[in-house]
Amino acid sequence: MNVLVLFAHPLSDSYGRAIYDEAVRSLNVEGHDLRIHDLWQEGFDPMLSAAEKHAHFADPEVKTSGDSLLASHVADLRWCDAIVFVYPSWWSAPPAVMKGWFDRVLMHGVAWTFPDGATRLHAGLTHVRRLVGITTYGSSRFVNALEGEPGKSTIRRGLRVLCNVRCRTTWIAHYGLDRSEQRDRELFLAALQRRLRRALG
Amino acid sequence: MRVLVIHCHPVADSYSAELRNAVCDGARSGGHEVRVLDLAAQNFAAVMSADELGRYKAVSSEVSDDLVQHIDSVMWAEVLVFVYPTWWSTLPAQLKGWLERVMRPGVAFVFDERNKVRPGLRQIRHIVGVTTYGSKWLYVKLMKDAGRRTLLRALKLNTTWRTKSTWLPFYGIDGASENERTEFLNRVRKKMEQL
Repeated sequence: MNVLVLFAHPLSDSYGRAIYDEAVRSLNVEGHDLRIHDLWQEGFDPMLSAAEKHAHFADPEVKTSGDSLLASHVADLRWCDAIVFVYPSWWSAPPAVMKGWFDRVLMHGVAWTFPDGATRLHAGLTHVRRLVGITTYGSSRFVNALEGEPGKSTIRRGLRVLCNVRCRTTWIAHYGLDRSEQRDRELFLAALQRRLRRALG
Repeated sequence: MRVLVIHCHPVADSYSAELRNAVCDGARSGGHEVRVLDLAAQNFAAVMSADELGRYKAVSSEVSDDLVQHIDSVMWAEVLVFVYPTWWSTLPAQLKGWLERVMRPGVAFVFDERNKVRPGLRQIRHIVGVTTYGSKWLYVKLMKDAGRRTLLRALKLNTTWRTKSTWLPFYGIDGASENERTEFLNRVRKKMEQL
């Protein structure tokens, strides 16, 4: 499959980074074609500007004309069959830099359209058949259940409805990272390849 | 009460800015003290640097200059009012970044000796969310309304059990008439008066 990997973590010695490395290694071993965006490292600007907001319904080509990084994001989104998100959950949702990917890259004419007379968005990502979220939570599964997992629903619902009707979503999460043991972390990494194979199979 | 309004919209003359004004007017005429943080106007940097994250857990560590005013305002406030447009069922990236950077250990919460998170926003008596949704109520609920959960659950867990919350949503703004927009502004103003 053509897999777009979106990664967000600023620290190169973090567990989040180790998860990302293992995910990329696994996807390569499984023979997928990868395009990768390390949002922190490439300096992705998450803020939708006033100019972008004004040009909301303009052609994607117009909106990306002055911004080669944004243009490459749009091209990669159009290219992929699957999107794999790798990030730490902060305030139970993706970090701002990744939320900005939603705000800016999921633009009109690429991810959705709004034809005359429509009452809701029409899906633009019908070529996307798999969505995978790989994330860590500092707090426990119980606390996250109380909070209602907003990050998870943004991907599994909000983004999912823009994709192919048969698109499958998989959630791979490590809960309770603040207090987890080395052994838990190693087990999670060790299972990642198998879980990704099932998710993308 | 001391009311802190956190507003986030990139366009200066947006409907969201009118909502911010309605919130401030309402709160002032209700006899409350008001401070406003306008994230887009201040060009607040949403992305935490590697260095900032590296020092995250050291509560006593120096915070970067651009955060000082924001942290002081949060410490000062008894009411937090968030005014923003809902994008992809949750907060705009800039406001999400504000939560990550300002609501840090020592401000919003502390880690106890067992590394568990303990509430730090004990002075906050009320959290209010004022937001616009492009979609209708049913669609928002199907999408599980992530932004509301982030503010009224995840953030609220860091306050006390007595802290109240109010959600003032404007569903379906994409198809709303001028009248409905004005009506909602009045409703927001009134609610803030009666805090």
